[in-house]
Amino acid sequence: MKKVTVPEQSTVEKAVRHAAAIGVAVKESVYPLTATVQYPRQRKKMPDNFRGYILFDPEKCINCWECAFICPANAIRMKEAPNKKYYPTIDYGRCIFCHFCIDSCSGGALRATKIHDVAYKDMDEMLTLTEEMIEPPEIIREDKKLVEYQIDEKDLRLKKTREEDNLIVEKAPPPVEIQMVSQCIDRASCIGCHVCEHVCESGAISSSIANGVMRMKIDTDTCTGCGLCVKECSMQILTLVRK
Amino acid sequence: MEEVINELMGTIMSNQLNIPALQPVLDSVSQLPVVGLLISFILWKPVFALLICPGLSTVGILLLFFPWVERKLCGRIQWRVGPREIVPWLGGLIQLLADTLRFLFQEVIVHKDAHRPYFLQFAFLSFIAALLPLLFLNAGNVIAIETPYAIQAMLALVCLFPFFILGLGWASNSRFAYIGTVREAFMYFAYEISFIIAVIAMVVLYGTSNPLEMADKPWGLILNPIAAFTFFVGAAMATSRMPFEIAEADQEVAAGPHVEYSGIAFGLIYVMCYEKAYILCGLMTVLFLGGGSGPDIPGITPLLGNDLMGIVWFLIKTIIVLTTLFVLRTIYPRYRLDQGLNIGWGAMITLSLIALALSIVLVQGGIVL
Repeated sequence: MKKVTVPEQSTVEKAVRHAAAIGVAVKESVYPLTATVQYPRQRKKMPDNFRGYILFDPEKCINCWECAFICPANAIRMKEAPNKKYYPTIDYGRCIFCHFCIDSCSGGALRATKIHDVAYKDMDEMLTLTEEMIEPPEIIREDKKLVEYQIDEKDLRLKKTREEDNLIVEKAPPPVEIQMVSQCIDRASCIGCHVCEHVCESGAISSSIANGVMRMKIDTDTCTGCGLCVKECSMQILTLVRK
Repeated sequence: MEEVINELMGTIMSNQLNIPALQPVLDSVSQLPVVGLLISFILWKPVFALLICPGLSTVGILLLFFPWVERKLCGRIQWRVGPREIVPWLGGLIQLLADTLRFLFQEVIVHKDAHRPYFLQFAFLSFIAALLPLLFLNAGNVIAIETPYAIQAMLALVCLFPFFILGLGWASNSRFAYIGTVREAFMYFAYEISFIIAVIAMVVLYGTSNPLEMADKPWGLILNPIAAFTFFVGAAMATSRMPFEIAEADQEVAAGPHVEYSGIAFGLIYVMCYEKAYILCGLMTVLFLGGGSGPDIPGITPLLGNDLMGIVWFLIKTIIVLTTLFVLRTIYPRYRLDQGLNIGWGAMITLSLIALALSIVLVQGGIVL
């Protein structure tokens, strides 16, 4: 067990630190870096992929039920509409705003907004029916300023502009693709079965025999990160890592 | 009878506050029968000291606005906003006025276990005790009671505060109040001795304890910075400001001795802490920053006169010291009781004795006349 002790400091060092602390206080009292967003009057600028209130477009819905299947909180229930189609309803009492439903929606019928301040009177009202999801909910906008966090060098600053943020995202930003490559995590356990080499479509995996020992090699430049080798490896010693 | 009145008038008129800019107005007003008498009575220096500055009005205005200044300043330093919602365009300036109104109309709850008469009396008595040192505090050459022992008298009255706080805690008869009171008692003994020695060092250095004579001497802060530092830390301990907010530690004992108070009784105790801070900062100004002395400002000094300029300089210096004392809470975290006692009985007493020795050396060496 490691015992935590007070660091040894000379009197001069301590005095310098006290002076530095007082200097920071003086600097902040003259030119403060207030971090508060005064919410109803000011609104923080949210990113376009903010996970907020969910809107629904029945024209694009293909009735695949994927949103209801994937919902980890069981918030989405399908409900039969007069046209004999099944459309989702969301219970915001359960929704955890993971937006798996939006990501899984193959028709693009569900889309995210930046609305995060909807209030309900009771739990029953939180069950949002399909027809309530088509139009954005009515919220009272009191905000006069748009606040944006900016990090310059080491300090956080608030950039305040006199404009109103559009809470409805017209076009969602494309998902960020993360480049992955296959990597062997336990070379000693490799049995040299060549399965990975055979299964690789881009020819990134090669084998060589040196001194009677089989060596497998993964070329990170040609590897597309498809994960086939990871799936097929008989010893399960391959894994995908970030490029 | 007439002789007595004449003598009294003579005394009043001989010690008037001199304001050149207002003199024509005052001359014309003094012809009026009752108002003139009243004005000249108020402008009589001892009464002016009691009623206007450094007395009642100044204390009132400072108490009304200084908690706001403190909260706003600490908020700025800590990246917060501070009070804002009451009159937003003034930045919540009248926050304490609103608080005072609320305190006034709130019920003063005396709980079952409390010692009812003492519980109620100590809250108000402590406020009076905190006001008494103002009798000997001078702003420039305006002072209520002029004696050669003013500093000692003030010191004695300042040392009265903790008794009333102990009384508050004892009458509250609750566990948090009890712990807070015991802490206050411990801290009281820890800072008191070094605090007094630091003041004595300055009295030795100046060779007088009359604050009016101290103003003409060079600044104590430059002559004896060790005494100034000890006094300042002692003042922070005496007023339970942040690094030494041991007795009132909100997170630990929920305001300590004041935990059971509500309504106007709590309001009085709440502002008493600021009043204490004001008096100690006033004393610091007198002892270390040359009191009401200051350079002449062309254009303003001839207009306001020496008396009023003394008051202005005194207030400016006091407010600077007060602000410094309040800003401490944003820089330093709270000490534990044992650390506080260690500082009080160890470093502070050593520093104060060094300060006293320095004063004696300076006086004996003939460096200061």
